[in-house]
Amino acid sequence: MGSSAKKKNEKRKDFKKPKLKVGKARPKPENFTDTSFKAKAIVLAHQSLTTNAPTQSTQFTHHLSLLSSRSSSQRRDSLAYLTAALTSRPVNITLPQPVGVLLSKLNPLILDGSNSVRIQLLKLLRTLPSREIEPHTGQTLLYIRAGLTHLAADIRSSATDLLLWAIEACPNELVSCAGGWVKTLKCLLTVLHWHAPSLTPGTGPVVGANAWSSSRAPTLGREGSEGKLTVKTLNVLATFLRAGLMEEHNADEDAMCAEKWPFPLRYVEAHMLPKRSNAFAHLNLFGPPRDEESEMYVEREERHRIFQTRFYAIVSSEVEAAKREGGEVGRAAAGVAKVLTGGMEGFELG
Amino acid sequence: MVKRKIGALEKVDADLSNLQYKIRRDPTSYKEDFLNQYSQYEHQRDIFLQAPSTATDDGIVSIRDLIDFLAHVADCYPQDTAQFPQDLMHILNTHHEELEPELREKVVGSLVLLRRKDIIDSSTLLHTLFPILVSTPSKSLRTLLFQKILSDLRTSNANSTNHRLNRTIQTVLYNLLTSDRTSSKGLWAVKLTRELWKRQIWTDSKAVEIMKEASLADNEKVIVGGVRFFLGGDKEREELEDESSDGEAVDMGRLKHQMAINKKNKKKARMMDNAVATVKKKERKKKQPHPLNFSAFHLLHDPQGFAEALFSKHLQNTRSKLNLEQKLLVLQLVSRLVGLHKLTVISLYSYFLKYLTPRQPSVTSFLASLAQATHNLVPPDVLEPLVQKIANEFVSEAAAAEVASAGLNAIREICVRQPLAINDTLLQDLVMYRKSKDKGVMMAAKGLLSLYREVGADMLKKRDRGKEAAMGLRSGQRKEQRFGEEAVGEIEGLELLERWKEEERQRQRVEKGLPAEKSSDESEGEDDEDPGDWEVDEADTDDSGGWINVESDKEIDISDSDDDKPAAKKAKVDSATSKVDDDKENAEDQAAATALKLSTLATTRILTPADLAKLQELRLSASINQQLPASQRKRAAQQAAALQARHADDPLTAAEIEGLASLSKKSTKADKIALAKAGKGDESVHQSTQAKRKEKKEALGKSTTNREKARKKNFMMTLGKGKAKGKRSLVEQGRVLKAHVERSKRGGKRGNKGK
Repeated sequence: MGSSAKKKNEKRKDFKKPKLKVGKARPKPENFTDTSFKAKAIVLAHQSLTTNAPTQSTQFTHHLSLLSSRSSSQRRDSLAYLTAALTSRPVNITLPQPVGVLLSKLNPLILDGSNSVRIQLLKLLRTLPSREIEPHTGQTLLYIRAGLTHLAADIRSSATDLLLWAIEACPNELVSCAGGWVKTLKCLLTVLHWHAPSLTPGTGPVVGANAWSSSRAPTLGREGSEGKLTVKTLNVLATFLRAGLMEEHNADEDAMCAEKWPFPLRYVEAHMLPKRSNAFAHLNLFGPPRDEESEMYVEREERHRIFQTRFYAIVSSEVEAAKREGGEVGRAAAGVAKVLTGGMEGFELG
Repeated sequence: MVKRKIGALEKVDADLSNLQYKIRRDPTSYKEDFLNQYSQYEHQRDIFLQAPSTATDDGIVSIRDLIDFLAHVADCYPQDTAQFPQDLMHILNTHHEELEPELREKVVGSLVLLRRKDIIDSSTLLHTLFPILVSTPSKSLRTLLFQKILSDLRTSNANSTNHRLNRTIQTVLYNLLTSDRTSSKGLWAVKLTRELWKRQIWTDSKAVEIMKEASLADNEKVIVGGVRFFLGGDKEREELEDESSDGEAVDMGRLKHQMAINKKNKKKARMMDNAVATVKKKERKKKQPHPLNFSAFHLLHDPQGFAEALFSKHLQNTRSKLNLEQKLLVLQLVSRLVGLHKLTVISLYSYFLKYLTPRQPSVTSFLASLAQATHNLVPPDVLEPLVQKIANEFVSEAAAAEVASAGLNAIREICVRQPLAINDTLLQDLVMYRKSKDKGVMMAAKGLLSLYREVGADMLKKRDRGKEAAMGLRSGQRKEQRFGEEAVGEIEGLELLERWKEEERQRQRVEKGLPAEKSSDESEGEDDEDPGDWEVDEADTDDSGGWINVESDKEIDISDSDDDKPAAKKAKVDSATSKVDDDKENAEDQAAATALKLSTLATTRILTPADLAKLQELRLSASINQQLPASQRKRAAQQAAALQARHADDPLTAAEIEGLASLSKKSTKADKIALAKAGKGDESVHQSTQAKRKEKKEALGKSTTNREKARKKNFMMTLGKGKAKGKRSLVEQGRVLKAHVERSKRGGKRGNKGK
């Protein structure tokens, strides 16, 4: 119908290419939207052109928190950082975090699946001052004991190393904390497959039950390094027994102290408040009631007595057997036997 | 040195499941490993107990796995693990609120596992779990515990009822309810009891006592739980029983058919054996005597006290916090108790008075409750104002049709139970509504009329009484009922049964060729029914089935003999003389004699189930008026059967009061279409009838016909034959045709020699 020239032109206009001219602004397209705006002031919330490196302490806490990271390499690196931080600090400056806080983070790593993490952990622990570890020994010992009987062999092995470290670091505290003597001893004997008699009252040691099968029954996941582990464990046992039965570090000190005071006063130390942390822990005022195994054996005589009644027979006979085995094991067993005779000589048998 | 070969399983170090498997196979050899793991568990437990809430489980071996492992192998080393269950209980008891959910679940699961291995006993387990169920804030734990408790109770009652355990648990639940009536903890007692009641594990009065305490609690939820149990618990139980009995019906015929056709293998054979076993078991179960389960109402101790307490505590008490719906539930319970046990709670009836208006929400429920609470020992003067009020408020020309019919229905239901509750002027007034144009109202009024023709015809106008009632009144058979009058206790229709038995005996004797009357010297025990008569014979409900005994000629000959005639004559003479003497006395004598006989039948013999079924049938057929035309007779029979189906224990619901009100409403076209379509299946797919049949056949796994097979045959397969067909020689063609004839004679390729 009526297709006028005007309409035709209009239609054609849509498809016309706009001409660009030099020196003139490019014509705006039809659908152009103006996005410019006006404002009186512009505030940028966070802007700082200078970056401050985080302080040592924040980095320390950061790496401490990274210890519970998912990736094992991250955990190992953080441990390495912490170790470096602790060793490189000046001598008379206190730790960036109290040992209690550190240990609560470090303890779970004793059972860590990765070997490198555990090795690094041992390095870190060695750097900690032993005086400050003492109050937390019981806590750490729990994890070490769990490691000793762990299903994985290499965790068992590194737990043995850690136990050795703990004995060296704070021998007195270790054997006298709650459960530190009997439970650890029992645990070591279990690792050695020396059948520790059950301590729960009512169930006497079952002698006949396993008499027919050899003591070296097939076990799960045993590897070639089992023999090495036995040697290691025997060595640890020897040190442990020495710490528990023989050494009294402060004995001579006490004797000196007795003479330090002027005449009318004697043995004042005995009547003063003890210097140990948590001095009345053995009273166990607030915790759940303890049984014989988890009791604290603070005095050497107590330890002697419980060792005599519960473990002496089994340990001495098994040591004899191990000595006869010869080789590395025999040598280690001989070391244990030496400690045994030395430790028990002051104590009247029966 | 040669590298030691390591077995595949040994490579995996931290593998508790592997160790578990080995221990289970050889406990003594792996004792040391077990002890290692046990001490490992002890250490982990110590670590865990140091800080139960923050215990992290990201080690290789978590305490959860250790607990699981120990629970599985605990039965191999009972002496070493003696302390283990106590440990778990301690952990659960003291730390259940802060435990990580997965660990918590594992501890509960392990305890149940130990119970299944009989290391701990049920009561210990339940005494551990139940307090936690009641106190824990975690919903998931509650569901878990509830399920575990329930399943443990079920398993310990599976073979024989464990009375001791049940008693202790019931006592625990009872104490839970009574110790603190305001707390909602009692809900768990209600839930547990209801579930166990439903599964017929608890069927004694102690369980009912628990629910009684629940209904008298102070917490609304607990009250409603208890009340709902009484109102619906028994029905639920019956439904579950029905479900379990008719579930998974096995069609043996079909299975056998399939076995004949399908490939035979071990699995199929096993399936068949299982099916046979289930069918046999089901049959055995069917034959077993029905367990006598009393409903909760009948096990109640002191229903009067209970009803009074419920009424005064929840309904009359103005400070009770229940809402209308909950109050209605309580009211239903009270009224059912009153109706069922014929209790007397006089103040209950005046309580109804203010709720009887058409504007009251869910008034039909109130009406149903009122009718339910009525029985023949309620004084009529208490009920009369209520009936009057219903009539005034509901039944008038101005009221809507539904309202009027509901009112009339309610009045009828009340009067069924207490006919004296209405006076004759009101009754005559209401009966006039039978001329109403509305169908619902009309039928309700007719119902009232037919009721009073039965129970109190003298209150009706003369022309409304009907033929039978009028005649009965005139002859004095129907007497006016008095309040508190009780009919003499007897088994209804027993005389019918006796007459029928006598007839049967005579028939049998005739068959045997003996005289119809029994002579005195014949022993009683001779024609006692054989033990086969004990069971109800489902096949023939009609008397003696469809078979008619045709006597042989010989027997007829015998009956022709002389000695029969004098006896008959004698009898005739006797009857004649007695008729002459005096009718009335004789009639009275006979009545007395029948009454005497009735008592002897019920007291001298034990009525077998077959007898009872016959009695029921006779009673039904006798009640139907034989003079009615066939169509009406059938309808009357149906009505009677429907009445019979309603058990006396069944509740009266609001639906029954509303009943015919739906007739008052004009249904729309859409409604009508929906009603018509309701019975038919899914019509969304349009298919021919044949296609549907075929589908059905396929679904049933039936085979196809030869014709169908031929139709479906692959075209390529037919080509060769078609080609060859054209090239056949004449001889060959003849042979083929002969073979075809032969085959068709034989009945197919393989022949069709009768199977």
